[in-house]
Amino acid sequence: MISIVLAALAGAGLTGPESPTECRLAAPLAPEFYVIELVSTRRIPGSGASTGTVDVTFAPSPFGVSLTENGDYLRDLEINVSNLRAPDQGSFVVWVTTPQLDSIERVGVLGDGTLRGQVRWNKFLVVISLEQDDASTAPRWAGPIILRGMSKSGAMHTSAGHGPFETENCASYGFRE
Amino acid sequence: MRLAAFVVGLALCFTPAAAQQVSDPTGSGDSLVWRMPPSSPNMQMLMAPFMGIVPDVTPFLPGPGVDVLTLSEATVGGLVRLADGDTLRLEATLLRREIDGRMIKVYGFNGQSPGPTIRVPQHSTIIVQFTNRIDFPTTLRWHGVRLDNQFDGVPGQTQSPVRVGETYTAEVYFPDAGAFWYHPHQRGHIAQELGLYGAIIVDSPDLDYYSSANLEETLLLDDVLLDDLGILPFGFEAPVQALMGRFGNVLLINGQPDYRRSVNKGDVVRLFLTDASNTRPFNLRIEGGVRMKLVGGDLGKFEREEWISSVIIAPGQRYIVEVMFEEEGEFALTNRITAVDHFLGEFEYQVDTLGIFEVSSRPTDFDYSAQFETLRTYDGGFDEVRAQAGRPVDEELVLSLRIGALPLPVIRMLEMDTLYYPPVEFNDAMPMMNWLSTGMNVLWLMHDPAPDVDPRDLGPATGWRFRQGDLVKIRLFNDPDSWHPMSHPLHLHGQRFVVLEQDGVPSSNLVWRDTVLVPVGSTVDLMVEMSNPGSWMFNCQIPEHLGAGMSMSFVVQPTGA
Repeated sequence: MISIVLAALAGAGLTGPESPTECRLAAPLAPEFYVIELVSTRRIPGSGASTGTVDVTFAPSPFGVSLTENGDYLRDLEINVSNLRAPDQGSFVVWVTTPQLDSIERVGVLGDGTLRGQVRWNKFLVVISLEQDDASTAPRWAGPIILRGMSKSGAMHTSAGHGPFETENCASYGFRE
Repeated sequence: MRLAAFVVGLALCFTPAAAQQVSDPTGSGDSLVWRMPPSSPNMQMLMAPFMGIVPDVTPFLPGPGVDVLTLSEATVGGLVRLADGDTLRLEATLLRREIDGRMIKVYGFNGQSPGPTIRVPQHSTIIVQFTNRIDFPTTLRWHGVRLDNQFDGVPGQTQSPVRVGETYTAEVYFPDAGAFWYHPHQRGHIAQELGLYGAIIVDSPDLDYYSSANLEETLLLDDVLLDDLGILPFGFEAPVQALMGRFGNVLLINGQPDYRRSVNKGDVVRLFLTDASNTRPFNLRIEGGVRMKLVGGDLGKFEREEWISSVIIAPGQRYIVEVMFEEEGEFALTNRITAVDHFLGEFEYQVDTLGIFEVSSRPTDFDYSAQFETLRTYDGGFDEVRAQAGRPVDEELVLSLRIGALPLPVIRMLEMDTLYYPPVEFNDAMPMMNWLSTGMNVLWLMHDPAPDVDPRDLGPATGWRFRQGDLVKIRLFNDPDSWHPMSHPLHLHGQRFVVLEQDGVPSSNLVWRDTVLVPVGSTVDLMVEMSNPGSWMFNCQIPEHLGAGMSMSFVVQPTGA
């Protein structure tokens, strides 16, 4: 977040419309607040130093904001991974899933470290697994997870049974300790 | 036990605000007693630490001392067609309305709440004689209309407030075709919430401007906040609910919770939609597979008509859509959102029905299905704008919040509430904190970027001066690192703009606008056509945010000056 603010602030010497040629800002980026950091699971050799991010932007819409028919945010994902050695065999496949893993969708094969996709859930995980093939028809990953990350909204967690609400029983809200 | 200790501990920390626990002597059902807004049981749990604290402003309800039963009942649905040079008299008064079995006091024009829909030809000028007979001075403004600056209705900038009993005369020129609306600009958090607004439809002289349709319908979307005691009090000196604005719990179309419209099978209906609510964005659908076509926005038509599954509309915005009812039956107009439940830390689906379209078995009088199936294009002068899209940014604004003497429990909760903010607030996810925040203890800011200055020390941006005819590229950034960031529908007075891009994604279908929703964390680039000279305001359309400082001014110098 700080970097985008600094980038935006870098041109503090304001320019009036009379001198439009002075370039003061870098191109805007996806909202850094919602960027998902991908973390290596170190499950396979050569992946321990791998890192990645997922930029989350609204899918193009005449309204600026894009929603599904149920009211979930409809968002484009741009997955960028670095320091991940190409597998000797198989493919790195990107998936999105709900936190409960009850719905999983395949985004695609991570080719040269970059992939674009879409997600229609407000809370979700991004998972990159190593599959023996491109898993084009698989309902979920079968190989080891190499990198994973969680949407910013995943930081929201129930207050039941925690902090000042410790007297509340989590189970009564459907949560298990 | 621990919860009780926590509550007691917090209670010892705050400075009690001046509580005015006053009962309305009229016995009309309204109560000036401060009480927290209605909310779900889960949210009531979160409210516990706030028990006993009230906002730091005086509670206010319309028509103090007036028995609601002595007031005229508000009517709806009036249409006034005016020609160039005509005079319109608008008298703002107190009225009554029954909503969900509760008789409440509302405001309206000419006995109607919302006021009459004004329908005028493009390029016409009308004379408006506005008489103020509500409880406090106010002004009337013409949202989106690029009229003469002196009639823009901004108190303290373009005119003095119209005092109670006074009449103010304005000349309103309508240069653009499209859907617009009129509303107060002083204590809008009260008067607009209670129905003191109306729609304006400006017709192009081009009879083929829109596709053929069987019906046209103007829908003003709103909500109102009620509990068993009636309307929840407002803040008098400054708005309450200054953090998120005043979300209502009863959704309204044209002032009514039970909107119904009868149409024939096969009818094509053109809907002029305006979000007249204080703060609620809507995600509007017509259930049952009714197809919707997006035709226009704030100031005219999109460059390309397109099929849509819903309309996402924010306060102050307007959209023009066409729908075709191909089957007999009832079709609900719904608002489908995912609301945030902070106690459970989850999103939850909410579906509210705003109204019903009743489609009879009688076939349509004229079959416009072929026209409906056609997606038309429009040359709105967008090529020149698009040609300059890649130029550097001329001006920038950062949107943020500065907090003052908020009750300590609210500050503590705000500190805890930093892990996640939804891009757009579709519901009041924190009604207790919101209710205790007022225009006295929070300050919303549209400020210059300033890397060396703590944003908490900044004031509104100043010094914007342009020349008539300038195309100005403005970048808006909604800072997610500020206290409780929130989406803002920003409204630019007197001019028109297009949204060039959002978060680096170029807009592929342009329309002239005057109001744009800026989600949390987002960067939105506008290209503004500075066509109208004068001293203008740029503000958040949420009146609680406006009342908490979220505005700035800019000047457009006339050509040759």
